[in-house]
Amino acid sequence: MRRSRFPIVITVMVMAFLYLPIVILIANSFNPARFSSRWEGFSLTWYAKLFQSPEIWAAVKNTLIIAVSVTTVSVILGTAAAYALHRFGASRLQRIHYTLIYQPLVVPEILMGISLLMAFVAVGVPLGLFTIFLAHVTFCTSYVAMTVLGRLQDFDFSVIEAARDLGASTWQSTRKILIPMLMPGIVAGALLAFTLSVDDFVITFFVAGPGSTTLPLRIYSMIKYGAPPMINALSTLLLAVTLTAIILSQRLATRKSGT
Amino acid sequence: MSSDFLEFRGISKSFGPIHAVTDVSLGIKKGEFFSLLGPSGCGKTTMLRVVAGFEDPDAGRVFLDGQDITDLPPNKRKVNTIFQSYALFPHMTVRDNIGFGLAIAKRPKAEIRAEVDRMLELIRMADQAGQKPDQLSGGQKQRVAVARALINKPDVLLLDEPLAALDLKLRQKMLIELDLIHDEVGITFLYVTHDQAEAMSLSDRIAVMDGGRIEQIGAPAEIYESPRTSFVAAFIGDTNFLEGRVHDCLDRDYCRLSIAGLPEVLCYNDKVLQPGQPIYMSIRPEKIHISHERPEEKAQRNYVPGVIEDVIYLGSNTKYWVRAGGYRIQVLRQHDRYFLDEKPLRWKDDCWIWWHADDGFMLDHFRKADEGLLAVPPQSVGEPINGK
Amino acid sequence: MERRRTEWLVSLPTLAWLGLFVVIPTLLVFVIAFRPANPYGGIGRGWTLDTIRALATPSYLLIAWRTLWISLLTTAICILLALPAGYTIARAPARWRNRLLLLVIIPFWTSFLVRVFAWKSLLHPEGPVKRALEALGLAGPETTLLYHPAAVVLVMVYTFLPFTILPIYAAAEKFDFRLVEAARDLGARPFQSFRKVFLPGIRTGLVTAILVVFIPALGSYIIPDLVGGPSGEMLGNKIAQRVFTDRNLPHASALSAVLVLAVLAPLVAVLILQRKGKKSDIIMGEAP
Repeated sequence: MRRSRFPIVITVMVMAFLYLPIVILIANSFNPARFSSRWEGFSLTWYAKLFQSPEIWAAVKNTLIIAVSVTTVSVILGTAAAYALHRFGASRLQRIHYTLIYQPLVVPEILMGISLLMAFVAVGVPLGLFTIFLAHVTFCTSYVAMTVLGRLQDFDFSVIEAARDLGASTWQSTRKILIPMLMPGIVAGALLAFTLSVDDFVITFFVAGPGSTTLPLRIYSMIKYGAPPMINALSTLLLAVTLTAIILSQRLATRKSGT
Repeated sequence: MSSDFLEFRGISKSFGPIHAVTDVSLGIKKGEFFSLLGPSGCGKTTMLRVVAGFEDPDAGRVFLDGQDITDLPPNKRKVNTIFQSYALFPHMTVRDNIGFGLAIAKRPKAEIRAEVDRMLELIRMADQAGQKPDQLSGGQKQRVAVARALINKPDVLLLDEPLAALDLKLRQKMLIELDLIHDEVGITFLYVTHDQAEAMSLSDRIAVMDGGRIEQIGAPAEIYESPRTSFVAAFIGDTNFLEGRVHDCLDRDYCRLSIAGLPEVLCYNDKVLQPGQPIYMSIRPEKIHISHERPEEKAQRNYVPGVIEDVIYLGSNTKYWVRAGGYRIQVLRQHDRYFLDEKPLRWKDDCWIWWHADDGFMLDHFRKADEGLLAVPPQSVGEPINGK
Repeated sequence: MERRRTEWLVSLPTLAWLGLFVVIPTLLVFVIAFRPANPYGGIGRGWTLDTIRALATPSYLLIAWRTLWISLLTTAICILLALPAGYTIARAPARWRNRLLLLVIIPFWTSFLVRVFAWKSLLHPEGPVKRALEALGLAGPETTLLYHPAAVVLVMVYTFLPFTILPIYAAAEKFDFRLVEAARDLGARPFQSFRKVFLPGIRTGLVTAILVVFIPALGSYIIPDLVGGPSGEMLGNKIAQRVFTDRNLPHASALSAVLVLAVLAPLVAVLILQRKGKKSDIIMGEAP
């Protein structure tokens, strides 16, 4: 039976479509020309200009401070949440818990951004790095929870019972058995949280204050208000960093449990 | 009761609408190899977990060496468990797995090392001490699990169907090893299984369980030869069930039974019975003898004429199904040196079957669920129902 | 008893955090919609229905309508492209399957802002696409590709396509393709068997794919902002404009409340259908 060629053709076109802009972007980051219409040879000028820009460095600093602190907190919260959801899954409390954790994943970012902004304004919290931190933890926790939860599905809890059986207290069995075994999933979640925090624009845009510009915010203003082609170089770098982090995260998240 | 080392008093446990265990009381002696035997869902694993401390009973108490341990958390009880999945810590070596309990108890490092070495010798795995569990075979994992538990010198060792995940040959080998370990170490073993061969070959005593209750407790021979209920009789080995009424009882040991279609049957009795009382009788196939001619009559034996309906040759023995008086009775005949000399018993032959009255037993209780096991012949295809 | 206590102990941190930073802010949005705007920016005092009434103006309705049809069109195009793609990947030999999936996912792993920017420069008047079209004679030097609803749809399709392909692939992978062969054997043409056998078979994946495009599309902000221009304005932009340019928080809240309801509607619809058909959790994309 001859299978129709049509789906394959579409698939190839889809793939080309997905990669075209990225390829052109990367190519242009090495193009010293002002306007990307002409190719003027391979050059690293824009990368050099990037490294010399103080605003870029300030944004990088802010982004990293937030990303590291957000990752730390959301990993702790997310892992605990995943454990609760898996261990006590059927109870009513967990069903509510699950619905809550699920919210940041389905709600459009703009709604999250504006609701947090309203909350901060209403309470009178000054907008700045701290509010960005709070906002990022809110959605990163959910992603960490889902990642760790995925790992827990294959988790054989009789190991924990074995540890208790052999004399370990609840805390000891958690520290010596549960967490080491979950570590690949936890690290995967951490990398994911880190990436999401570094990358986030919409929510950050709403809750940032003056002087708390992150890298995405800087990129956005560069795009909006006349773009020196430095953006191509910056984007390519950002691409490389996030891609690496995610690949690592995926590797760890799908490794067989117990390795 | 006070001589019991491990004691369950009135234990009940339910999971939602499911009553896993209902009012079970049981006493296990020190150093005994005791098995809980029964089908899936009979409550045996729940009982084990109650001792280990992983389930809190809804009612009842558990006593170990005279002490009430019901409220103690699992890590404070002097019992250790061998899990069905072994539950070895995958991120630790064999050595660290075995020494885990001692490390938690904060014993000095030198002592732990010495004890672990001793255990590795016992299970003959000194060469694999530095390996991780995923590098071990099923049998090796099980031995590590045993060592990990025994090193703590528990008062009771709990084994949750430890051989279920092994293939047949390995299972037979591990059976012998478990037996040897028990003899060497002398600890009380509480063993849970659904496999009667395991229970029978390893245990000092067995408790047969079904539906959350204990059907019978006794030594393997007792359970096999004198089952009290139809469940026990049918679960362990094969048997024939016959339905009848008490005709009368001669002295304390024997009763005469009227069973439809059969001549009067003499049966061993240890109960108080009234004439006319309905009764269920059980006789195991290997206790029945079969031949073409009626043998010389001896006292206390039952002789029944019949027709052979089915023959299955099994090499070391032969199974016959004999139709007698509306019943289809299974007979198991071991091949002795006379077997080949005799004229073979074939399909549709007339024959005589007989057994000693002591080999029959009358049941305390016959389950409705076992009615399908009554030795009533099946209908053949095309035969009108009810003979019409 | 210890189990209960542990459960509460472990769940409490996230419950508290999410309650504080998700539930309460969302409620706040609805509450603030009922307040008047402070002329100096921010939230005024007292309660009023004026803000809500202000929503009924033609300009708002136009934006709401545009948001709706752009989202619907994006969803439709994504599904139309994702169906053959998901089908092809699911039918591919195992070796290829993982590589193809990886190819689909990788763009998603790169910065979203960056990808939109890539399109912005691609569609730029001096950009390669425009010059290619000019060379083909399909466009004159005056036509702009940017700042148009079409540009918004294009970039949205680009963004959401991977999200659509994955659930359809997942459902197609579990689908028994011998059913299609049986249909062909009974005389159905390729497209007929596709429509009557394959599509109903991947129903759950299809629903997930639709939700995973439609809902974020409704709330889109960056894409219409960067490539939409004034004629491509969507609800998201309007909300941002009210917040940052006009400093009119109650209006922004009211618009957000509308968006929340618009987002809830399909989710609730799916939940009702799910309960009726007794399927497993459709939102999670698991096959029944």
